[in-house]
Amino acid sequence: MARAGLDVALIERGTFPGEKNMFGGLLHRMTSIEEVFPDFWSRAPLERHIAKKGTTFMTGEASFNVQHETVNFDRTPYNGYTVFRPRFDRWLAEEAVSAGATLLNRSTVEDVVIRNGKIAGVTIAGRKGEISAPVIVAADGVLSFTAKKAGLRKPQFSPDQMAVGVKALFDMPKEVIDDRFGLVRNQGFANEYVGCTGGVRGGGFLYTNYDTISVGIVVHISSLRDSGKTPYDLLNDFLAQPQFTKLLRGGRLQEYSAHVIPEGGYAMIPELYGDGILVAGDAAALCNATGVNLEGINLASHSGILAARTIIDAHERKDFSRSTLKRYKERLDLSWVMQDLKGFKNAPKMLHIERIYNEYPELVCSMMEHIYRIDGTPKTSIPKLMLREAREKVGLKNVLSDLFTAWRAL
Amino acid sequence: MNIDEIFDYTSFTIDREPHIVLDKDVCAGCDQRGCVNCCPARCYTWSEAEGKMTFVHDGCLECGTCYVVCQRNAFSRWNYPRGGYGVAYRMT
Repeated sequence: MARAGLDVALIERGTFPGEKNMFGGLLHRMTSIEEVFPDFWSRAPLERHIAKKGTTFMTGEASFNVQHETVNFDRTPYNGYTVFRPRFDRWLAEEAVSAGATLLNRSTVEDVVIRNGKIAGVTIAGRKGEISAPVIVAADGVLSFTAKKAGLRKPQFSPDQMAVGVKALFDMPKEVIDDRFGLVRNQGFANEYVGCTGGVRGGGFLYTNYDTISVGIVVHISSLRDSGKTPYDLLNDFLAQPQFTKLLRGGRLQEYSAHVIPEGGYAMIPELYGDGILVAGDAAALCNATGVNLEGINLASHSGILAARTIIDAHERKDFSRSTLKRYKERLDLSWVMQDLKGFKNAPKMLHIERIYNEYPELVCSMMEHIYRIDGTPKTSIPKLMLREAREKVGLKNVLSDLFTAWRAL
Repeated sequence: MNIDEIFDYTSFTIDREPHIVLDKDVCAGCDQRGCVNCCPARCYTWSEAEGKMTFVHDGCLECGTCYVVCQRNAFSRWNYPRGGYGVAYRMT
């Protein structure tokens, strides 16, 4: 918008952009940002590019790993990166400022200004006056009080549709990370874990940064509430799992952080536009948690770009009413963002199957132990073993019904 | 890892004015109190003996979990801290 000559204000409640922003650590490829910065990967402050991905089924004693690596993810345009938000977001905001935007740090939006039924700006907590604007973009995160005050989102969230992530950052020399995870140059590794959350619906993650490692868990808030467990104790148990703890050996804790994630998918998307307002990113619940890829930041950046394009059009027409701004939703609907969210709209239902978080990791690990174990007794054939384990640990009916749910979801 | 130490690794600029204020009567009548176990920063403490909820805003990570988990609308205020105050992440 600033490049198109519009008068843009970036309102940031931290002392600098990114100070308040917490995420797991994986910046998926952002094709829309690459359009703005064709040399994105040589320009942005990135930690490592993700060349290797893995999934681990975990129990208290055992783990079974699946890994994928390809030279195709080791070339530009990279498929994803690890970043630190306080560095990355600050850089992105500085780029906006160089393009002509005005950055207002230490400014928490208190309310929206409504004139003649239209949003006409915002007020800042603890300051007099208002910032007037013909249109605002509510990009104020998962709780979006701006969207709430504009009447675009429901006043209460459902704990069934929200997850909380907690993360610990450990420092570790670059060479140790490279050797331990089989990496060279700026290659990075991203691993997801299932079965490491004490039966609470959720999962764990490990991402390699340049010379630090991000580890954490994400759990559904309703499931956490019902369990009576705390997120930091669950994190601690995850870090103490025998195979996991080896990966962290020698690392020193640097920072602890937490944030809520909108995981309700397509069903929880609020109204995306009104007279003088658009809603983008987490504020619009644009998160796609399918259990395989946990995407959010790429959807957010794309929604931001589409919001900007819509506003540039509206500025040309000098019309910021709903009827012009609805073009934003049309653009989103046509884009991969909504197509993915619609395509995976059954994923939240699948991720509510409790058995994923206990029984299945147990099943996988126990089956592998039986296959590998040599103890002087005759072996059971693998198909027979699979059937027996599935019957004992989960029940065949459940397996079939879960497979059907997963098939529909993915 | 001693879990008690984990909270010391986050930086804050603490505002004297709390950004979250509870209506403690609502908390006293609540039978769920998911805030106590769900808060990643241990800001909520329930005293069974006194029948009282205590909330300390100092270590709040501004994550939003309590806002989501509380279904009784116990907040007479739930704002983000004023500009420049609250949690300050360095490398998350």
